Amino acid sequence: MTEQGDTPFVGSGEADLFGPDPETDSLAYYAPQAPSADIYASSRLDIRKAWHDLAKGFAGQCHGNLQLLQDYLDRHVEDLGLAFRITGDEQERPWPLGPMPILIAADEWEKVTDGLIQRAELLEQVIADLYGEQSLVKDGHLPAAIVSGSNDFARRMVGIKPAGGHFLNTYAVDLARGPSGEWRVLADRARFPIGIGYAIENRQALARATGGLLASVGTRPHSGFFNALRRGFAEQCQRDDPRIALLTPGRFNQSYPEQANLARQLGFSLVEGRDLTVRDGRLFARTIAGLKRIDALWRWITTRDLDPMNFDARSQIGVPNLVAALSQGLVVTNWPGSGVVESRAMPAFLPRLARSVLGELLSLPNAATWWCGGATEREFVLSNLDDLVVSSAFRRPITGLPDGHTRPGASFSPEERAELERGIRMRPMDYTAQEIVHLSTTPALANGRFEARGFTMRAYLARDENGDWVPLQGGFGRVSEQGDLRTSLMGLGDISTDVCIIEPQRPSAPEAVLKTTPREIRREQGLLPSQAADNLFWLGRYGERAQQTARIVRVLVDQIALSGQTGSGQAGDTSSTASRLAKLLFNLGAIARPSKDASYAEIAGLALGNGRQFGSVRSLIQREQQIALILRDRLSRDSWRAVQRDMPGFTPGDVESMALACDRLIERHATLSWLLSDGMSRGPEWQFLNMGMSIERASMILQAAQAIIPGSASADDLSALLELVDCQSLYRSRYLSMPYIARVYDMVLLEPAQPRGLSFQISKIDKHLTAIPPLRTDGMPEEPLRAVGKLRSKIEGIEATLIGPMTIEDLRKDLADLSEAISERYFLQADRSDEVRTKRLF
Amino acid sequence: MRYTVRHVSKLGYATPVARARLNLRLKPRLRAGQTLVREALRLSPEPGTREDQFGPYWVKTTQVGFHEPLKKLEVTSEFVIDIEPPQTPQSGPSIATVQAEALAVADLSDLAPAPYLFASRITRMSAPITDWASPFLPRGGDIIASVSALMDAIHKAFTYAPGATDSRTPPEEAFEARSGVCQDFTHIMIMALRAHSIPAAYVSGYILTRPPPGKAKLVRADAMHAWVDVWCGQALGWVGFDPTNNCLVGEDHIAIGMGRDYADISPIDGTFIGSAPQSMSSAVDVERTS
Repeated sequence: MTEQGDTPFVGSGEADLFGPDPETDSLAYYAPQAPSADIYASSRLDIRKAWHDLAKGFAGQCHGNLQLLQDYLDRHVEDLGLAFRITGDEQERPWPLGPMPILIAADEWEKVTDGLIQRAELLEQVIADLYGEQSLVKDGHLPAAIVSGSNDFARRMVGIKPAGGHFLNTYAVDLARGPSGEWRVLADRARFPIGIGYAIENRQALARATGGLLASVGTRPHSGFFNALRRGFAEQCQRDDPRIALLTPGRFNQSYPEQANLARQLGFSLVEGRDLTVRDGRLFARTIAGLKRIDALWRWITTRDLDPMNFDARSQIGVPNLVAALSQGLVVTNWPGSGVVESRAMPAFLPRLARSVLGELLSLPNAATWWCGGATEREFVLSNLDDLVVSSAFRRPITGLPDGHTRPGASFSPEERAELERGIRMRPMDYTAQEIVHLSTTPALANGRFEARGFTMRAYLARDENGDWVPLQGGFGRVSEQGDLRTSLMGLGDISTDVCIIEPQRPSAPEAVLKTTPREIRREQGLLPSQAADNLFWLGRYGERAQQTARIVRVLVDQIALSGQTGSGQAGDTSSTASRLAKLLFNLGAIARPSKDASYAEIAGLALGNGRQFGSVRSLIQREQQIALILRDRLSRDSWRAVQRDMPGFTPGDVESMALACDRLIERHATLSWLLSDGMSRGPEWQFLNMGMSIERASMILQAAQAIIPGSASADDLSALLELVDCQSLYRSRYLSMPYIARVYDMVLLEPAQPRGLSFQISKIDKHLTAIPPLRTDGMPEEPLRAVGKLRSKIEGIEATLIGPMTIEDLRKDLADLSEAISERYFLQADRSDEVRTKRLF
Repeated sequence: MRYTVRHVSKLGYATPVARARLNLRLKPRLRAGQTLVREALRLSPEPGTREDQFGPYWVKTTQVGFHEPLKKLEVTSEFVIDIEPPQTPQSGPSIATVQAEALAVADLSDLAPAPYLFASRITRMSAPITDWASPFLPRGGDIIASVSALMDAIHKAFTYAPGATDSRTPPEEAFEARSGVCQDFTHIMIMALRAHSIPAAYVSGYILTRPPPGKAKLVRADAMHAWVDVWCGQALGWVGFDPTNNCLVGEDHIAIGMGRDYADISPIDGTFIGSAPQSMSSAVDVERTS
């Protein structure tokens, strides 16, 4: 590549004279202000070579324009739907991923992880004591208020031992690397390892973007960690081939995309509280095949929301009486109440606890912390506020820190400071202070070149099948958005990066796509919770409805073009094809009742784009996208991307642009249904999706027939109907004549071989229903099968020439009964009426 | 003294509710000085499952589950209890001493001070309540005298107004309106005390409905009552203050449970599928039998 460069001087000899080519090795010109405090500039020779190899490799891939790499990653992040949601924000925003990873030498990392394993073990024992003997409190090693002050201390859990033997199965920890390379713990995350899904995705994105580059510099792979985690879960379960589920708070949770990704990657079922029920001390998922026992639950909801009967009665996302299953062998991780060690006051005591619990010194120190509940510490904090950062010990809003967020003491105005001091005097136990942790910098790509930025990272540990802690070889890096800002308090604009653990001597195999290793190979489909079946069914229905509505609009637009009728939808004109199509759009809720002087072009524009009308194409697509969000763990990457594709733009009233938009919509739908179908194995998921599509199409055919042939119909009307059902050309090739009502009815409603007709849809539904595992064991057909059988034989017995509006009305009723039978049998019918929690009855 | 308490609650649902599981917190969890003679908790219809458990916090919970849909439910709690007249201290240590001792007690159990030092679901920190209460709670003040002054201030400044608030009204609103019922006064007083690092707990129970001849009937005698237990230092421990009646808790107060706020010890909560109860009624009768 250098040979083709613009400059004639580039070559191995000249490179020494003029320095490395900035286009191929931009790191060579990276000049942090304090090289000794920079992880790259202070690194050993072999590690430094890895940095350079990586930087050169990047440059090679994007021909010296590093911004191209950033653009590629941005697109990738967007494609994955890997977005980070800010609480209270309806829209997700992409979590920017910087291309340059942070490289850490394997030997340096091993010292860090040894310290983390020690710390995890310490926290495990502290938690076990607090939910057992409480001797740490009784013997004065830990003040009672440190425990009772935590929102995560679950008194209900005292005395209940974890079925799997461990309180912690995963552990996440925020780390800072100081200017002289010393590592510090900033915070412990004992509830759930937030960010781990992003760590996987960041690695995959980067690995994909850079080919084998990461592996060639000796990056250790992630896969060992996830295999260990999965085996660790399974080992604790009572049954040999356990069913493991990830319990999510639902799609409005900030971390939902990550949870969905994790479930998909690890092969766990993604469930919500209402998918689950406790019967006789066992946990079950409500699935389309009845109740299925769950052996282990990876909970991603807080303890207080976990069980409305035993924690907060207001919780709508928990599982009533889950606590009863805990004492009967249900593995829940991390064990409810583990979060008690997350309080910001806890690190003040961990160095001492390490000595009394483990008989060891902490090999990896945490940032020095003072809890103001102690008189000496309080006075120290009050007289050194400028040199400390102040936190709410239990993350609650408190006097002086009304949002509960940590602030540097020096940032308080005199008035704020007086308020803070008043608060500390009044309720000292609510406050902690930490030393200001300085950070080393890392080369981060900004504006197409490398700049020195402060960084922190989150590391992750999981237990393997022997209960031993296995660290993730890497982590979730956070790089400050601001220039050389070197404090551990980072902002919303920070970017994420991958963290690579480098072992240059032993280049590893390329990062394998994460594999889970089941004990045996099976072809059985995973659990399909009733709720997910419901959502798949409706994903199919909304997608199909959007497409069919676009088809109607297209036929309407064609009518306008043919007849030149852009004028008003004249009052007298109730018999024209266009008016019948407008009526159909109204029946479908795509438009409000058209005013007398609305033109058909206006009507077409509204039916496409009026987001306030529930049946407009825009609304239907939005609905489809919302459902897809809930199903994110079940959709392939490509389907996800296709479903997120937005409504094409058009000029309302402009016939040509509307026609084009309709074409695009129909293509969008075709692509999407192909991708959905292609990416799904032929199990219950596929059956429900397709059933939804077929029911919707059948319903559309009947409604169209009803609106377009309200007794009599012109040749134009019949052509329009054929066009809607997409068999215009078939009809022409078969009959070579004008359409007649009976022939059209026969083709559209009765002909079994016509793939767009009603009869064909009903046969398809029949096949899908037959393929779904039955609940009954007596061999009798279930209600949906009987309903579809009735409809089938009715259609078979109809004589085309005798069809009238009543016939169609009758078929519509039977179809509605069929849809009802399906939802009653397979979906959470009873729970659709909201589960009301009686909070206070008196 | 021996008391007989009878508490009947009736719930009616417009349409039957399915899979009802309820927590009933109606049986007394005994405190020092209380002796249970007998107790019975009867439900009609009978639940499919039923289990008694203690805690969390100082409360006894009966968890019941119904397999059949429920159209109406009647809960009758009846118990006979002996109560020794409690000590009503005239004075105690300084507030500063109580604050320091509360943090020093190496105990996490349900009657220790530590669980009652922090904001809870209903009793969150409120700057207006804190500021209003501060003059009554000087660090050097005697704990009994200061808390009594705070209680007196609540009693004087607030109107007892049944119906003005319901059990879901946040204490901050009742404070703003300066009116409410025993539950509101209790929550407000707890918030005021905890804001000053004084452990305070929500006690639910009953008071004598038929006063002895010559004594006036206490307010809130016909329903469940609530008051505040304040931790007054190692030596005195928990002392009861009834802001609704502006008195220290005496022998005619029959405590059945104690928690951080109402939510910890509400008499009935739970989950079911269906719509909220259409009708609710409750009747209390408390009699001194010796």
